[in-house]
Amino acid sequence: FSWSSLGLAFHRTHLISSLLCLESIILSIYIALSIWPIKNQTSATLMQILILAFSACEASAGLAILIASTQTHVSDHLRNLNLLQC
Amino acid sequence: FILMLSLALGTMITITSNHWVTAWAGLEINTLAIIPLISKSHHPRAIEAATKYFLTQATASALMLFSSMTNAWSSGQWDITQLTNPPSCLLLTAAIAIKLGLTPFHFWFPEVLQGSSLITALLLSTAMKFPPTTILLLTSHSLNPTLLSTMAIMSIALGGWMGLNQTQTRKILAFSSISHLGWMTIIITYNPKLTLLTFYLYSLMTTSIFLSMNSTNTLKLSTLMTSWTKAPMLNTTLMLTLLSLAGLPPLTGFLPKWLIIQELTKQEMTTTATIISMLSLLGLFFYLRLTYCSTITLPPNSSNKMKQWSIKKPVNTLTPTL
Repeated sequence: FSWSSLGLAFHRTHLISSLLCLESIILSIYIALSIWPIKNQTSATLMQILILAFSACEASAGLAILIASTQTHVSDHLRNLNLLQC
Repeated sequence: FILMLSLALGTMITITSNHWVTAWAGLEINTLAIIPLISKSHHPRAIEAATKYFLTQATASALMLFSSMTNAWSSGQWDITQLTNPPSCLLLTAAIAIKLGLTPFHFWFPEVLQGSSLITALLLSTAMKFPPTTILLLTSHSLNPTLLSTMAIMSIALGGWMGLNQTQTRKILAFSSISHLGWMTIIITYNPKLTLLTFYLYSLMTTSIFLSMNSTNTLKLSTLMTSWTKAPMLNTTLMLTLLSLAGLPPLTGFLPKWLIIQELTKQEMTTTATIISMLSLLGLFFYLRLTYCSTITLPPNSSNKMKQWSIKKPVNTLTPTL
């Protein structure tokens, strides 16, 4: 988890890499959450399915935003996101 | 309109939750519903604002999930009101600070407000702040008070300072909301009801400001100067509302500041009380500049009677004077 969050914090160019890091964060949470009931002999499967569904929705929304930003800005690089100047 | 309904649904889910996963689910529904609202206009600025908003909010949600998971590992339960693990409390405050726009993590907020239209900016700054504040309220007894108060003081300072050089009204309102959030979080460990009161009054005042700016379509300071020709009554109510947002005494906006300062002095934190009241003077400067630009100055080539389409809600602007 910490590895992928560091990767998200330090992404250089390419929005796609930040989306990938987001997905790996959620995936690590999911794996950790599915290991936990096996160790403690409780069942938490409803939680897992809910988390998985919502993370899939988030990923698809991120991809849609990526496509929209590639349509309006020319490329994927993060240096092009400077229209909203401070 | 489906997106508004899903926004309301997500807020309701988060407010009425006592399990971390339902709170997280409500927050994700809110994020997903607002993203198409932000990027509806297909302008490059709007889409860029949507990307920034999405990235920050998604990381904050993931951080929140992770902190609740580590808490569940150490204490074995998923209840919201019981947080026993200190590192997970720290991560949780960081996640909520990112979602709200408190100071170490406020960098997305002005640009996102600038890139969205006025009504979606209104939704972003009032309705979207509501679920994270409820989570803060529910967990406030187990969070670190010194961390919260330092973040609050820094956000009041930054909201005042960075609003000084702005000419775009949406960014000015973004910085004002950052400083108001600082006022809200400074009192949350001592008296959570004051936080709620501040939030309600702040949301009322900002809705009236946004709606009045929406009807005259002012996006820059220079547009504000010519708005007196369109609807003079609206201009005076806008001025009063802005001054109330600044927190001047005869108007309603002074009430939460007064009560917060009173509560802080009861808790023997008088230095913080004086610091935050000094820092709100910085905010007062640009509120005064907004009112000055909108009411007193005359444009170079003045044109009387420029009639535009009718005002939607003048009634809402009279409520802060109550």
